[in-house]
Amino acid sequence: MRFIDSTDFERLLKKLSAEGELVVPVREEDTGKIHIQRVEAFPLPAGTAFDGFRSVESLKGFAQHLRSVVARYPSEDMDQMEAEESFPVFVIVGARGCDLKAMELVDSVQVEGDYTDPFYKIRRDRMLVIASDCTECGESCFCTLTGSNPWPEKGYDLTISKVGSGYLVEEGSERGAAILSENSELFSEPREGQEKARVENREKVLAQLKSNNKDYPASAEMTEKLRGVLNDELWNEESARCVECGACTNICPTCYCFLLFDQQDGEQFKRVMSWDSCQVTGYARMAGMGTPRPRLSDRVKHRLYHKYDYLVLSHNAVFCTGCGRCIDACSASIDMRDVFRKVKTKATR
Amino acid sequence: MENPYYPIDTVLEDVITETPTIRTFCLKPARPVKFKAGQFMQLTVPGVGEAPFTPSSDPNIEDRMEITILRTGKVTEALHELKPGARLGLRGPFGKGYPLEKLGGKDVLVVGGGVGLAPMRSLLYALFNDPSKYNRIDIKFGAREPAELSFRRQYKEWSSLASNISLKTTIDIPHPDWDGHVGLVTTLLDDLEVKIADSFALSCGPEIMLKFVTLKLLEVGYTPPQIYLSMNRKMSCGMGKCGRCNVGHYYLCVDGPDMCYEKIKNVPNVFG
Repeated sequence: MRFIDSTDFERLLKKLSAEGELVVPVREEDTGKIHIQRVEAFPLPAGTAFDGFRSVESLKGFAQHLRSVVARYPSEDMDQMEAEESFPVFVIVGARGCDLKAMELVDSVQVEGDYTDPFYKIRRDRMLVIASDCTECGESCFCTLTGSNPWPEKGYDLTISKVGSGYLVEEGSERGAAILSENSELFSEPREGQEKARVENREKVLAQLKSNNKDYPASAEMTEKLRGVLNDELWNEESARCVECGACTNICPTCYCFLLFDQQDGEQFKRVMSWDSCQVTGYARMAGMGTPRPRLSDRVKHRLYHKYDYLVLSHNAVFCTGCGRCIDACSASIDMRDVFRKVKTKATR
Repeated sequence: MENPYYPIDTVLEDVITETPTIRTFCLKPARPVKFKAGQFMQLTVPGVGEAPFTPSSDPNIEDRMEITILRTGKVTEALHELKPGARLGLRGPFGKGYPLEKLGGKDVLVVGGGVGLAPMRSLLYALFNDPSKYNRIDIKFGAREPAELSFRRQYKEWSSLASNISLKTTIDIPHPDWDGHVGLVTTLLDDLEVKIADSFALSCGPEIMLKFVTLKLLEVGYTPPQIYLSMNRKMSCGMGKCGRCNVGHYYLCVDGPDMCYEKIKNVPNVFG
């Protein structure tokens, strides 16, 4: 554990910005919401905030771009792929516990198993992640229900916790350790009371989360409960409010499904990968217009079952980190926690 | 690093008209493609996109591939317009394929309908490689009308390959050019000669057909672990990532497309 004051931390970030594109959380003055922003020049943007809670946007777009070219064909080079060195390096600062957990979950799909998505893997490998504690929680945050805590536990190179005029810093990888040793002049021993302050802050946020979510069921019990209400009318009621905007899946850090489509590109053709949403009508439509999920209720249900049932069976984990972004983003104010509360009530009848 | 999204250059060498709406595309990929019967390929029409198809050719032939395709959507419309010499792309093979390892010494029942005969032909080639490995090979093919029966030119040859092979065909409704069996393909499953207890049934066809074939097979005594169905969804990436081909928690592109009914029998709306 080391300590760095906020001026020196900015110096460190300036140095690290030479390694790649620096991304920091910035608090919007009028709303207080935190957005992620690329740093074009120093000093850091006004409102840069390594406290508070997770940003409005998830971080998934850095590893799985909103839209990217994955192949150009035909080509002389069969397995043509751009050289690894040409991929940008992102230095992401301020990733929260829920963000890290989400990356870990999506890694298990995109990198592990029989097939690896090479584009995703290169972007992830080149990413430098400096995580940070949450010093408060949002109304929609429910990481504690998913068995996580509001502070980084793994999956980072460095992690920082705001205490007083600076940050306590811990390494989480060899790369992080190297940054600490190469910049040792910027760090000092934590002063008395700083570690205690960190513990107190964590306990405070944890207590707030538990109080906010005391009426909602834990994620771990939902898999079984969902299986009991598959054909319940509850899904018709919930989907009646849904407007199929796809915001929930686009904002979700663990929604990784995508669309592949081809386009003419001069003399060649290109294959493009783009984010997609299982909530829209045409998502699983086949040739001849048949679709396995024709009703909106089928699709609304599918998102929750995919995360809380199917991926538990295939990847042994609930693919939800309780970040609450889907709750904030929903045009119809559908709150997943509320849906689960109803599911639990119905399933236990 | 190898790019799994890159379609290998493929030349369309020939097009065979099977039925008014089904054509067989004879392909030569730039490098050999080794596939197991039942595995599928992603076939690219440059600029239009790719779609999943199970080859209909002999899995033992690696430098050429045949894919039999019904004209039904955007990619297949474009395919049906193509002439020999056109350049296409291939990715794959993907999926697990048919459980050939389980069929040795068994009575194999093959049930195909419509364009579902296409992957079945690949399976038959694999079985015909050494028919003596199986106790019986009973083939039941159905289509809406005589002109819709693909590969009719080969039926006689297949039936005469070995004494343990039988092939029966049917069409859904009477037709002036047909003096054979009339009725849905399920009507060929009433008086089976196979020893059901020692048999596997493999079926491919439209989802509605698969549903009724399954019900019929269960009715005549097959158990869910003995039934394999070629399921279809919009397989796209082929690697269990893009999320389009879920059937319950399975991704057909990696866990299928040929699924044991035992695995999917409790999936809601499994037949769409």
